[in-house]
Amino acid sequence: MASQQGKWREEQILVICPGSHTTMAQLGCSELTPPANRIPTRMFKDEESNEYRPFRTYKRKKADATEGTNGSKDGGEDEWEWVEDRDSVEGAVYPIEGGRIVNMEAFLAFLDHVHSLLTTTYHNTPIVLMASPQWTRPDCESVARYIFEKTKTPALCLLHSAVATQYGLKWPSMTVVDIGFEKVDVTCIYDNLIVSHKDLGFPTPVREISGGEVFTQKLWALLKDKGFTYDMAEQLKKSPICEVLPYAADSDDLMELPTENIPLTAVQPAAAPVLPSGEGPKIVEPPKPAPVAEGENENEAVDDREEGVLDVANIVTSGNTREFLAKREKEKAEKAKSKKQGKGQEAEPAGAKPTRLPNSKRKHNIFHYEDLVHEDVEVPLSNGTAQAEPAVPTNSDAPASDAPAPEGTANPDEMKIESKPEVSGETNGENPAPATESTKTRTERRTKRVRKDIEVGLERFLFADRGEINRITDTIYRTIQSIDDIYKRSTCWDNIVFVGNGSRLRGLKENIIQTLSARHMISPSTATIFTSELPSNMATPTGTGSQTPTGSFTGQLPTTSSVNPLLQAATTASLGVPGSAQAPGSTSGDVGVSHHSHGQTPMSIKQAALPTYLAEWTKNGFEEAMFLGSLVAARLAFCIHNFDAAGTEAQRLMSLNRVDYNENGPKAIRTHSMMG
Amino acid sequence: MASQQPLPNTQIPLDVYGGDEVSALVLDAGYCHTRAGFAGEDVPKSVLPSFYGHLKSTNSDTSTTTYRDIFGDECLNPRADFEIKNYMSRTESVVEDWDAATKIWEHMLIKRLQPDRETHPSKNGLNDPPEDGEGDVAMEDVENQEKPLAENPLLMTEAPWNAGKAREKAIEIVMENWGCPAFWLSRTPVCAAFAAGKASALVIDVGGANTTVTAVHDGMILKRSIQKAPVGGLWLSQQIRTMWENNDPKIDVIPTYMVENKTPVDAGAPAQAKLRKFPFEIAPSFRTYEEERLLTEFKESVVEVWRGPGRYANPGNEDLVKTQPGRVFEMPDGSNQMWREQRYRVSEGMWDETAALPLPDGSKVQTIPELIKAALNAVDVDLRPNLLGNVVVTGGTSLLNGFNDRLNNELATIYPGVKIKLHAAGLTTERRFGSWIGGSILASLGTFHQMWISRKEYEENGAGIVEKRCK
Repeated sequence: MASQQGKWREEQILVICPGSHTTMAQLGCSELTPPANRIPTRMFKDEESNEYRPFRTYKRKKADATEGTNGSKDGGEDEWEWVEDRDSVEGAVYPIEGGRIVNMEAFLAFLDHVHSLLTTTYHNTPIVLMASPQWTRPDCESVARYIFEKTKTPALCLLHSAVATQYGLKWPSMTVVDIGFEKVDVTCIYDNLIVSHKDLGFPTPVREISGGEVFTQKLWALLKDKGFTYDMAEQLKKSPICEVLPYAADSDDLMELPTENIPLTAVQPAAAPVLPSGEGPKIVEPPKPAPVAEGENENEAVDDREEGVLDVANIVTSGNTREFLAKREKEKAEKAKSKKQGKGQEAEPAGAKPTRLPNSKRKHNIFHYEDLVHEDVEVPLSNGTAQAEPAVPTNSDAPASDAPAPEGTANPDEMKIESKPEVSGETNGENPAPATESTKTRTERRTKRVRKDIEVGLERFLFADRGEINRITDTIYRTIQSIDDIYKRSTCWDNIVFVGNGSRLRGLKENIIQTLSARHMISPSTATIFTSELPSNMATPTGTGSQTPTGSFTGQLPTTSSVNPLLQAATTASLGVPGSAQAPGSTSGDVGVSHHSHGQTPMSIKQAALPTYLAEWTKNGFEEAMFLGSLVAARLAFCIHNFDAAGTEAQRLMSLNRVDYNENGPKAIRTHSMMG
Repeated sequence: MASQQPLPNTQIPLDVYGGDEVSALVLDAGYCHTRAGFAGEDVPKSVLPSFYGHLKSTNSDTSTTTYRDIFGDECLNPRADFEIKNYMSRTESVVEDWDAATKIWEHMLIKRLQPDRETHPSKNGLNDPPEDGEGDVAMEDVENQEKPLAENPLLMTEAPWNAGKAREKAIEIVMENWGCPAFWLSRTPVCAAFAAGKASALVIDVGGANTTVTAVHDGMILKRSIQKAPVGGLWLSQQIRTMWENNDPKIDVIPTYMVENKTPVDAGAPAQAKLRKFPFEIAPSFRTYEEERLLTEFKESVVEVWRGPGRYANPGNEDLVKTQPGRVFEMPDGSNQMWREQRYRVSEGMWDETAALPLPDGSKVQTIPELIKAALNAVDVDLRPNLLGNVVVTGGTSLLNGFNDRLNNELATIYPGVKIKLHAAGLTTERRFGSWIGGSILASLGTFHQMWISRKEYEENGAGIVEKRCK
């Protein structure tokens, strides 16, 4: 059987990472690139054949028939045609919900769709399929059976998503926090073995979703009365102006909301949908009435006035006086600088102003919303000759001269900021001008790209729901703390990795780490130094450096920075656990010593370092590291030759090939897979 | 679905009951945790606390109150009108609330381990919160479709003193509600012995709610030898509480969920922590459950068993301990303290009745050596040496540091001259899930298939069959 392995070429391997929302897939793993295809994980049920289709299809009157049918309703079947609408989600079936396969039939149809989309040949395309931890054993068996019976796949490698992440990031021990669309999985891996797992978003028995969608919903709820739609909220969430502020331990809201109202000046006075800043959102604790500023002069006046007033009580109670004053100074300096600039070049400040302050310090910011509007418009048909009649009733803003040549006129990239709806070149209509001579108009599906500028206030910070973040942090804490062997915990605390596109939300990862540190970090105690003499083995630090606290260690832990490093070394060592003193700072010490320690955890909480040698992935972000890992696993399982005996055996158990399938049936997937 | 390609006879998978290929399920319910998984695997796939959440929701329109149960550690978070309950009986380690038991078992065996069905509860409208009544959901579900476990034989473990009525109830649920093709009830000590590879053993199971000592001979428990006492994990927690209560300064138990963030303080100094505020009342049961998490951490990282020889109270021992470095424990609110001699003293009550800290209700418990003596005295003299040569130690609380050394010392003192051999799994999971693993081994054995009570037998004989067959 060993000869079966390693005979595939890297270009032949199909890698599929299904998600509840989007599926990443690619044919070939020769280049470790970000996924070539992102396919929405949804199917549409066809009422007639009861089969699943990848796109919504609906009946529509044929365009060339519209004319003739005005009076008579005959024509029958010929008048109707089936149209595929690639963007519509109406009636969509989502086969995966929160990581679980809720509709196996649709899921298998979806797999088939992905397979046929990407592969041309039927043979010699082994598949790597990433599986969520929520997939049950019978699920995996059904998938294996389907793949082997329906496709000609020679081999299938099922891969646990946390293991896939690990393959992508190469650390032997890590805690993988996968923040997905409607679920959060926390999986602890120690020494390449899964030692603990918990998930949020599983129905227990009612489903309480967790993950990226929760934040969107929250944002939407906050902005609903401002006329936001779900899509707008989703886009706002993904925009850079929406972020989770750093965890502020001292403040009541646990975040430092910007309080100074820096007016947006008159950046876009002409932009129609911009909310006047006076009607800005209600702030939780407005320090001063929000001044409305329209021009540069007023702006300065406001700034000056604000500089004069210091809310001393607020500063003192908040406790970080020095920090505040430093900030103040900096701000003053910046203002002075920008004033100078502003006077010199009056024309530019509109562009320069918004970048002056980081988003997190601004109370309001402008969100550029792009909407795609589909509509069926009557388009006059032209054979090159311009027609006088303006037959674009719904598209009044578009210049009439655009109308005769709708194909490829407006390039979306050239759009101006102003909210001018324009017609982009896409035509989804299925009639490629067959009736040019007979008809004057035809119905055309057009996609307009409308761009609006909307001013958003503090909602863009307030949506960071503490309840949801607490759920995630609690789950991380409990997952790591419920690892059976205590000595494994500190390693898992030191290598936390956030994946899943839900974690792309700006500031979320940092906030989670900060929350965990502020809430759970065990600081070295002063108890031991006063109550017991130092153990003898601490007298001389050994040459390994393992007991010498390194600078990076004390620097990264705000809570321990006040503690004397020697004291810390002494206390942790006197627990009889030299290993735990070594673990956080350096990786050089021997790990064996730290076994069977019973110290409390976490003594340090860190995110694992991400690889830097893959430039494309650094750009893409390692939120999709599981895909990278799947590519790596694909190579290992299918392409590497010349293992020793043990390696060959391990490789054989990584995937299930057709010979083994024929011999053992779908049940063989239990052992021939990487499901952890 | 028949496979598309015809297979030669030799390659057709053997689907025989009890064969290695059968997807038998194993369910092991304890007071603290319930474990479920597939037979043949070495760890249970699904381990849930036997504690579950009971959520009250009041419908403002109709002023009706509905209750909803939620399962799983992940969802036991602070909520309004939220109680924590347990479906097991703490004193007996047997099922107390059968409705809840059925639901939590279904959640584990069906929801967690089986794929979603077409009429999934989340889609059939039964799960919309307002309508979600008590207990109806699962039943309707089951009636309207193929039984959810129609392909999976189920092996369930039970405490050795389980009552006949409870056993009949179990087989009824398994056969009627879930439609399992075969069923077997096995006693936890027998399973734990099997997990250690023994057919005859003295099983000392130090669990969460109870410690049991049982003699197993040739795979059968010796009924008269069964001894049980509450000296387990929760009892130890109570000891720790008492110790904290009497500590100077007195230690307030602030569980993790109450703390928003903390600042490091010196040892013995008052805590500087910012507490979380909840706009609703936290039920005492929830707080107790959360405190237990903290106590578990304390047990894991601080508490130690005096290894012997002799009792901890013997003169000189405490002075010796005082010269050794202690352990520091930091509370969730940041206050911390060194524990040195106390960490031995608190566990000494398991071995020495006089050393136990007085409980609020003044009750005393039997110590582990007493349980062992009582168990061995109840069995035939000839069997005793064999049993002492095969002592199986299992249960999560036996993971306390020094436990096995002390047990060995105690046994050597009580039975001088007898060869004593302890078998305690080295892996933490094997110790915690000992009886589940034994059940997993048993249910995956090819030879076990004659043993199962089949569906047909049940239909012919009724629920009483379980008393006749599963001795």
